[in-house]
Amino acid sequence: MHKAIVDGDRARAGELAAEAVRAGLDLVEVVAKGYVPGIQKVGELWEQGEYFLPELISSAEAMKAAMAVLEPELQRSHLRARTSGKVVIGTIEGDIHDIGKNLVASMLQAGGFEVFDLGTDVKLDKFIEKAEAVGADFICLSALLTTTMVNQKRFVALLKERKLRAKYKVLVGGAPASQKWADEIGADGYAENAVAAVKLAKSLAPGRS
Amino acid sequence: MNPSLLELVKQRTVLLDGAMGTELMARGLPQGTFPEEWNTERPEVIKEVHLNYFGAGSDVVSTNSFGGSRINLANHNLNGRTVELNLAAARLAREAAPPGKYVAGSIGPTGKFLKPLGEFTEAEFEEVFTEQARALADGGADVLLVETQYDLREALCALRGARRASGLPVFVTMTFNLTRRGYFTTMGDSVARSMKELEKEGAQAVGANCSLNSEQMTGLVKVMRPETGLPLIAQANAGKPVLSSGGQVTASQGLEDYVRFVPDLVKYGANIIGGCCGTDPIYIKAIAQSVFGRKP
Repeated sequence: MHKAIVDGDRARAGELAAEAVRAGLDLVEVVAKGYVPGIQKVGELWEQGEYFLPELISSAEAMKAAMAVLEPELQRSHLRARTSGKVVIGTIEGDIHDIGKNLVASMLQAGGFEVFDLGTDVKLDKFIEKAEAVGADFICLSALLTTTMVNQKRFVALLKERKLRAKYKVLVGGAPASQKWADEIGADGYAENAVAAVKLAKSLAPGRS
Repeated sequence: MNPSLLELVKQRTVLLDGAMGTELMARGLPQGTFPEEWNTERPEVIKEVHLNYFGAGSDVVSTNSFGGSRINLANHNLNGRTVELNLAAARLAREAAPPGKYVAGSIGPTGKFLKPLGEFTEAEFEEVFTEQARALADGGADVLLVETQYDLREALCALRGARRASGLPVFVTMTFNLTRRGYFTTMGDSVARSMKELEKEGAQAVGANCSLNSEQMTGLVKVMRPETGLPLIAQANAGKPVLSSGGQVTASQGLEDYVRFVPDLVKYGANIIGGCCGTDPIYIKAIAQSVFGRKP
C-alpha cells in the first residue's frame, strides 16, 4: 500500500484497498499503517527535492482511489478514517488561479482532512456560509496575485466583524503570501506549499487525534 | 539605423521593465477586471505605464498581454477577443516606445496543465500560443517574450507557437524554485535541461523571472550561465508583498537591498535585466543607475 501511494499507482492502490476489505482487515489500521505512511513519504520526497508537482498529484490521486474503496466500508461499521478536521478551501474572489489550491486540497484530503473545495473566485461570504454549514475547523484562502491577496486580509476582518473569528483557523497561501503577511493580517497560519500546508493544519488541528 | 535588440544585447546590458498588474491597480483597476481588458477600455493608462518605464530607463517594455492566451481569456469570457486584445497590447507599447526602444510581446502560461495531469494536448497549446503571438507580432512587437513558465513542455509549446507565428526572435524565461537539490521548476524541470531544450528549439535568449528575489536570482544566474551560450535574462521579484503601516501593499525586498545585487547579476552573466512582481519604475531607474552609473 505504501508503495502504491509512493509510486502514484492509482489502480494498485484501489486493488489493495479492495483486497483489504475482502480479507476483513481492520480498515482503520489499514489506513493508518498502510496508506498514511505512504503519503507521508511522498511529502518527504517532495521536501528533499526528489518529487515535484506531477508526482504529488499522482500520489494524492492514488490515495483518493484507495479511500474511495475504504470509506464506504468504514462508514458501514460507523468508523471514521478522516479525523484530522474539516477544511473549507478556495481561491479567493477576483482570482481564478487554481493549480496551487487544488494541490493543497488534494494533499489535505490525502492527509486525512475532510475537504470542501469551493473552487475559484470565491466570494468572502461564501467561505463563511460553507464553513458554518459544515462545521469547519479550517478556512483556507488561496491567492496567486498581489492584487487579490488583499482579499485575504478583508476576509479576516469580515470574520471579526461577524464575531466568528475565534471559531475558525484561517490559513493563507499562494505565491505572494508569506508568514509575515499571515501575521500582519491576523491569519492563523501560512504554508509555503502543499506539503507544509498539511503539516501546518495537523499542528493546528482540534484535539481529535 | 538602430541596432536590433539582439545586436544591442551584444553591445551592452539591456534593461527590461517591471511589474504591470500592481501599476494598473494603483491607477484604479477594479477587483475582478482582467488587466488585458484595459488594452481597449483604458488604453491611455497602459500607455502611461509603458512611458513611465521607458522614462525610468527601460530599453524594452513588455506588453500588457501576460494572460492574453485564449485559454486564460476564456476564464473571463474574453476569449472571443483574443486577437483584438493582443493586437491592442502590442500597438499601445509600440506607440509609447521612443525611437530606438523596443517592445516585447508578453506571453504567459495558460494556467492549465498538459495531459496527463490536465486536459490539453501539446498541439492545442501550440495553436493557442500561435494565435496570441501572431497578434502581438502584427501589433508591432520587436520580440516575443514567453515568460514565467513553470512547465518546460508548455514553454516549448509557446516557443514553437511563437516561432511559427512570425519571424520575430523569441525569448523565454522559466520560473525556478530553490529546492534542497538545487533550482527546479514546479514541474521538476532542471536548469540544465530547460536551457538546453529551449536553445535547441530556437530561443534567442533564455533565463528566469519571478519566484526569487534579487539575491536568490544571482545564485540562479550563476547556475544558468554555464548551461547556455545565449543571452541570459534575469527578472527578480522584490521579495514578497507586505502590508505597510498605512495599509498599502508594498514589497518586502526594499529598493536598496534589491539593487545591491544588480552588479552581481551582471557579473555572473545576465545580459538582459529587469524586474518582476513588486518592482516599479523606481526600481527600474535604480537598476539603470546601478548598471550604467549615476548618469545613464
